[in-house]
Amino acid sequence: MACSGGGRARAGIPRRLLAAATRAAVALAVAALVAATTTGCSPARDEPPGRSTGGRGGRFVFPLAIEPATLNFVSGTDQASVLVERLVADSLVDHDADLRVVPRLAASWEIAADGRTLTFHLRDGVRFHDGVACTSADVLYTWERIMDPASHAVGRVDAFLPVETVEAPDPLTVRVTYREPYAPALRGWEIPILPAHLYRGADFATAAANRAPVGTGPFRFVSWEAGRRIVLAANPDYWAGPPGLDRFEFAIIPSADTAYQALLAGEVDYARIPQAVAATRAEDPEFRRRFSTVRYVPLFFYYIAWRGDGSNPFFADARVRRALGMAIDRQGYVRSVLHGLGEVVTSPFQALLPPAGDAPTAGAPTAGAMPAAGAAAADAPDPETAATLLDAAGWRRASTGGLRRRNGTPFRFTLLVFAGGEDHVQFSQVAQDNLRRLGIEMTIERLDWQTLWSRLKSGDFQAALSGFMPGPDADSLYGLLHSSQIDGGQNYAAFRDPDTDAWFLAARRTLDDRERRALYRRIENRIVAEQPYAFLFAPAVIAGVNARFAGAKASPQGILGHMPGAFALRPAAGGS
Amino acid sequence: MTGYILRRALVSLPTLLGITLIAFAILNLLPSDPLLTWSDGAGPVSAEATSRLRDALRPDSGPVMRYATWLFNLLRFDFGHSLRDGRPVTAVLTEALPWTLILNLSALIAIYALGLPLGWIGARRRSGTAAAGRALLLFLSVVPPFAAALLMQRLFAVRLGLLPLQGTGAGGAPGPAAAADLLRHMVLPCTCLALAGWAYAARYARAAFRAILAPEAMAAARARGLHGFSLARHFAPNSALPFVWMVAGIVPALVSGSVVIEAIFSWPGLGQVLLRGVEGRDYPLVMALVLLAAITVLAGQLVADLILPAIDPRLRDLVARDENVHG
Repeated sequence: MACSGGGRARAGIPRRLLAAATRAAVALAVAALVAATTTGCSPARDEPPGRSTGGRGGRFVFPLAIEPATLNFVSGTDQASVLVERLVADSLVDHDADLRVVPRLAASWEIAADGRTLTFHLRDGVRFHDGVACTSADVLYTWERIMDPASHAVGRVDAFLPVETVEAPDPLTVRVTYREPYAPALRGWEIPILPAHLYRGADFATAAANRAPVGTGPFRFVSWEAGRRIVLAANPDYWAGPPGLDRFEFAIIPSADTAYQALLAGEVDYARIPQAVAATRAEDPEFRRRFSTVRYVPLFFYYIAWRGDGSNPFFADARVRRALGMAIDRQGYVRSVLHGLGEVVTSPFQALLPPAGDAPTAGAPTAGAMPAAGAAAADAPDPETAATLLDAAGWRRASTGGLRRRNGTPFRFTLLVFAGGEDHVQFSQVAQDNLRRLGIEMTIERLDWQTLWSRLKSGDFQAALSGFMPGPDADSLYGLLHSSQIDGGQNYAAFRDPDTDAWFLAARRTLDDRERRALYRRIENRIVAEQPYAFLFAPAVIAGVNARFAGAKASPQGILGHMPGAFALRPAAGGS
Repeated sequence: MTGYILRRALVSLPTLLGITLIAFAILNLLPSDPLLTWSDGAGPVSAEATSRLRDALRPDSGPVMRYATWLFNLLRFDFGHSLRDGRPVTAVLTEALPWTLILNLSALIAIYALGLPLGWIGARRRSGTAAAGRALLLFLSVVPPFAAALLMQRLFAVRLGLLPLQGTGAGGAPGPAAAADLLRHMVLPCTCLALAGWAYAARYARAAFRAILAPEAMAAARARGLHGFSLARHFAPNSALPFVWMVAGIVPALVSGSVVIEAIFSWPGLGQVLLRGVEGRDYPLVMALVLLAAITVLAGQLVADLILPAIDPRLRDLVARDENVHG
């Protein structure tokens, strides 16, 4: 190769200059990278290139962390599927942002005096997106499919177990008969209605409509690009009028951080803001110019289940459970780790029952209401009382320190936690420290979700940190607290109290709101006294919405999880 | 030669079988609940509803029988159905495979396209520029891919707005516009994947070029009157050898790295299918992926074993002797 001489000829000052220039470039590049990440949000362009802003309503992009499993309205019961189904399909009834029941496909309904019969009157003239009329036959068919175990309608079956018959006396009437009066009946019908004509004769599990759903909802299905996005377009013939947006797109974005960055970059129009930066963002004028924020506290709360069935020497004693619950610093966690963005939870009913002494006419629970029951008010950690309780229960600490013991048994137990959850792991470490000061050694065992779930189901644990997502009705806590749910349900603490069992069943049969709430108050007081679980906290969600859009309203189930939800989203006035 | 290939393929079969057996055992011995797989862990489900659905979701047979069935169906190229959504595994994989291929191949090309010239320059002369370039690459290669990804997302997509942050583009009709859009979306994930490879390739190439372009060999060649193209022609086969081997060092790192990169950049490839499958204990899906990975590795070795003798006459003699002994 003849060029070797040329290299040598270029030796000397120019090469040294080049090297210096390169070093400077390297330093600059590193500095730029560091600067980009420390200064955070920036004067980035407002309008990302390639975004179509024409048309009346524009396009709203919403990130989904997980791709829906299926868009079969009955089988698709995971969170992502349900979110998409809400937009494509209609349920008979729905709830508003305050969790009050509102009509949707059913214009009205009445409940017979005996409380056993519920009659829905469907809206006239409603059509599926393919033009076929939606009638009571579709409702009947949807119910039949839910009850068929082959449909795998996990999470939808529960509301229909007390149903005796469902009839369709005429195309616009659906009559549901329950075996006995069933107070939560109405909310059970918050299920999207399937188009029977597209499923009859097809294999339910593999029907074409499962990946190209047809509903009666405000948006019709356009396309599903696997792993990438689900595209919906406005349904101009929606019974409530056309929605405010032309297109609605679900973008599948597995990483929460990527979703947030995508909001900043203008690639999505909604994303959760990480708690650590939420406060600074709220004061950043540049951010506030480009985004509005919504805040809500989901119904989901964290708890520690103390397995109280006597399989361990610790937690069968309510005094021990109360003591441990008192020692744990929920307030400190919400304040410092969650940056104040969350609520301390002292009762599972906290968000579902209105505060005591409210107007008797308020039929609906108020979301995010603060604790009401007097017994639940003491949420500050109280290690002194905890120590006294433990002493009384026989778990004493030697004067030389060390672990508490009873009859020679040291107070040493294992807490199961979900290894993939930040709050799960972080809170368990806080609790570990709180209990160590009390003379209790808690070992943390981190598990993947499936293993944790199977250990919880089999009762093969001493204590476990997990979470519970109740529905809008207080009856949804039945699964956590009724003794029939110890085996196969979610009563992982193995809490067994005949009174609680009876009150839950009585509340189901009680149609009067006040009486019903009184029953739940009794349960709440019993739970707070017995502490089968240590109820911990409910993290709040702060999310940003691109300022090009208006109409976003938060409910405990997000901006889409209520009526009108996505229907009310629209381009902001004066925006592009 | 055909005999050699066949024999190599046959020897690989027990290895493949062993890999599937281990993967199946791990997936099936870990606790799992089809109810959870189906609902993605959502929703309060009462004991009554659970018992109602339990029978419908319970596997028909024990793990041994399931493995036997899986193996038997495999012989008919039937990979079964995903436990999560009931779709055929082949459909799920064929959707994701092209995305992973295009990302990894592009990263591989990027690694060679930058690593080889840098190695060449480094081998030819002591240059401050090349040294600085290599130092920069070395620095970049020790940045964990996820950290590099987050930094680059913030800089190039959010702050500067030069490149798309994530995803694969709007799609639409295939054409120059869609291709350009896809390319723009590939720049960041591809660069992140290539980061670790560049330093490795540059160092590897420099050492390889140094050995090949040893002054003595060059002098001897020149003395024989070779120059320009004819010189390159004589040295090219020699230098190709290490670069074929280099693939073996890069590809496994690319494949494992792309699981993380796919998740960060919302890239709809096999890495995401794998993560979801393992989380949900979706064994038909995971088994197919394990098998695919194993076959790729074994086939890669076989291809390397076939290409190398074609380039290197010394190896050709070895293979021939092997043929004579066994065939």
